[in-house]
Amino acid sequence: MSHPEPNTDWESTARAAAGRFAAGGDREGPEILRELLVFKLDRSGYAIAVERIREVVRMRDLTRVPRSPDWLLGVMVLRGEIVEVVDLRCRLGLPLEAPKRSSRIIVLHGDAERVTGLLVDSVSEVFRVPEEQILPAQGFEISSVTEMCSRGEEFISILDPDTALGFLDV
Amino acid sequence: MAAKRSRQKKKKSANDQREFVAEAEDILERMFEDLSELQEQRHTRDEVDPDLVNRIFRSAHSLKGLAGMFGLDAIGDLSHHLEDILDGLRLGRISFDSPAFGLLDEGVALLATMMTGLERGDTSAGGDDEAARVFIAQIAAAMQAPEAQTQDELDELEIDSTLLRALTEYEEHRLRENLRRGRHISLVDSTFEFANFEEGLSELSAAVREVGEVISTLPSPGDAPESQIRFSLLVASEIDSDRLRDRLDDPNTNVEAIRRGSHPKRPNAPTEPAGSLDGPQADGADRSGDESADESRAARVEAPETGSLRSISDTVRVDIRKLDELMNLVGELVIQQNAVEGLASLLSSYELTSRVGAELTKANRGLDRKLKELQASVLDVRMVPLRQIFEKLSRVARRLRRDLGKEVELEFKGADTELDKLIVEQLVDPLVHVVRNAFDHAIEGPEERQNVGKPASGRIRISAFQRGNHVVIEVEDDGRGMNREAIRNKALESGLISENDTLSPGEILNLVFEPGLSTSDEVSATSGRGVGMDVVRSNLAEMGGMVDLSTREGRGTTVTITLPVTLAIIQALIVRIGEERFAIPLGSVLETMAIEPDQIGRSEGREILNLRGERLMLRRLCEEFEIEGAGREERQFVVVLGMGEQKLGLLVDRLEGQQDTVIKPIKGPFQDIRGIAGATELGDRTAILVIDVSTIIGDAVRRREAA
Repeated sequence: MSHPEPNTDWESTARAAAGRFAAGGDREGPEILRELLVFKLDRSGYAIAVERIREVVRMRDLTRVPRSPDWLLGVMVLRGEIVEVVDLRCRLGLPLEAPKRSSRIIVLHGDAERVTGLLVDSVSEVFRVPEEQILPAQGFEISSVTEMCSRGEEFISILDPDTALGFLDV
Repeated sequence: MAAKRSRQKKKKSANDQREFVAEAEDILERMFEDLSELQEQRHTRDEVDPDLVNRIFRSAHSLKGLAGMFGLDAIGDLSHHLEDILDGLRLGRISFDSPAFGLLDEGVALLATMMTGLERGDTSAGGDDEAARVFIAQIAAAMQAPEAQTQDELDELEIDSTLLRALTEYEEHRLRENLRRGRHISLVDSTFEFANFEEGLSELSAAVREVGEVISTLPSPGDAPESQIRFSLLVASEIDSDRLRDRLDDPNTNVEAIRRGSHPKRPNAPTEPAGSLDGPQADGADRSGDESADESRAARVEAPETGSLRSISDTVRVDIRKLDELMNLVGELVIQQNAVEGLASLLSSYELTSRVGAELTKANRGLDRKLKELQASVLDVRMVPLRQIFEKLSRVARRLRRDLGKEVELEFKGADTELDKLIVEQLVDPLVHVVRNAFDHAIEGPEERQNVGKPASGRIRISAFQRGNHVVIEVEDDGRGMNREAIRNKALESGLISENDTLSPGEILNLVFEPGLSTSDEVSATSGRGVGMDVVRSNLAEMGGMVDLSTREGRGTTVTITLPVTLAIIQALIVRIGEERFAIPLGSVLETMAIEPDQIGRSEGREILNLRGERLMLRRLCEEFEIEGAGREERQFVVVLGMGEQKLGLLVDRLEGQQDTVIKPIKGPFQDIRGIAGATELGDRTAILVIDVSTIIGDAVRRREAA
């Protein structure tokens, strides 16, 4: 009877669980962690809460939409669904740049059946940060950045996608 | 956690409410239909079909039960009170002349309004409604109104008192009613073999029903042998007992006349308010607390209806959203199949695989056929006849007749014409609006009509028919027509046009669709129309439809509505401009042709094409959407679009063939893009935008008029 190959999926799941347990274990009392998807825009770190994200896909062919604002790059097909893709650089007023190989589209869960994709320069990781390390962003030039946190040396601007897309004022 | 649970609960109750609305709408629809039939019967003959009243009573009863199940108290309460009125009518406690009867229509309409509130997701509607409370008070007041008591006919009847006591209240009422109508009452006794008495009994009942009504069927005690059973049928008939006996002609059946006493009523006496043994007041008080008696009575009435219950179970109620999902799936299958087709032709093009390719092509063709059938059947499920809307329109007309005091006949044609359920739903408001306009503004008062030699009663004819992929609905009135001069003056006043504008008669008429013109009451008084026609037009445009007008002063106006049969799956023409591709619904494409630049003419600064002697307005798609297209010197293609009476030639660089497509809404922050109806997926997994033909044509017409 030969030993089966270790099931890597199972293994990684178990390791992750153990890691989480250990991380919470050294402190007294349960800790509230926030999960953020970190991505890059114009060499700076930004993040969106993972609950708001449906999936991340590679850049693909987009169909341009006439009579639409500049920040609407176009529409794409995602498993039979038509998704609007927003150029987040343009929407946030950052310098424009053509999509690269590393570019990704972050597809959001929307309210009221709205599904939107955000084009970003690259996606880094899912970052868990304790709630108390998240600070309100004050006087930030982009109004849709509501909170901030640090990740090592780097500052991460946490983005509220609803404000960023102007859902509130549409 | 708690928050999550409450959210779930809320979501669940929204689902519940949808379920309730779906079911309740059917009941209400039936009530509306039956009520209008009841009114009809009241007007055309002086007698009302008792089964009809029973049916409405049962509808109110079911609605009450349903509302109770979903905890919608206001709807439940209101239904309960309507049920009271109906029960009173059914049992002859309330006459059809009573004010309570008059409240039925309004009550049902109020229920419909509450239901609409629920459907919009207004959770408070149906649970607690001020309007319902006020209305219930009105019902209660009307029910209290004293009814004239008449002499009791039953006292005059020579009938066994034990039999009389065995009758239910309803049966008693039927007996009274038949007596009042001067019918002959007989007691039909018959003996059946126990083994198959049900069959025999139903045969006998059927035979009796040919000439009269079975008021009650009672097992009768008597000297029947062990293996037999005897029944007594209390029968009312137009023919007398002797002739009934001859007709039934059965040795086992005995027919005995029940004679009246000394004061026989005049036959065919007019309907009078019925008296009853116990006063309505006392009974009403008793009933409100006694729900179970009420239930059992309803159950008794429902019993003979098992046949129709079975037929109900043949139909399945489906949420339209589920059909949409199904439709989407079919659409995706079609797209997948297009991909297979591409693969097959690729295989065929290589020598090594050409045989496999040919086989695959053949198999794919079979798949294609079946898919088309599947598509057609799914589409078919969504189709509903326009009859529903027509019935709604007659109800609106009935109310308008009452409110405005005008006599107007509504004529319907083509009620069987079918349209997609979603379109039918969205069509109601615009169509009601058009009919209301005709009623209110176009049709003159009776005196004015007679002065110009028209019949006093106006006429609105609504006809529907299918024309290709579209359904056309015409609303034609014989009213005063529209005065173009008045419309023009009004448009000048409101700054829509200027003094220098030269407008064709048709263009002037089309001004009534402009938002600026529609809100004015003045123009509607002089021209006979113009209230909210802009809303009608935009509502129809949303469904890919159009509206046209034609009028003859003094003779009448016709409003023509053109709609696509379905929005779900469409055949599209794929066109290219520069790098971009667009889909155009084929249903709106009249023809396509290639043209050389020198064929394009100019008139008043706009590009036109002479199309077999007709001037066709042209519009370049690249200009419409501000995208880069081929040069103006190149040969181009014209796609001739037609919707309703309007035509437009759309200039594109190339035609790329036809394809079945499922239009999908564009989901995102930017949903309303003028001229774009949605997007669709091509076989190569790219999105392609679908052109909204009615908006493009509408914009072009407006531009021409504005220029």
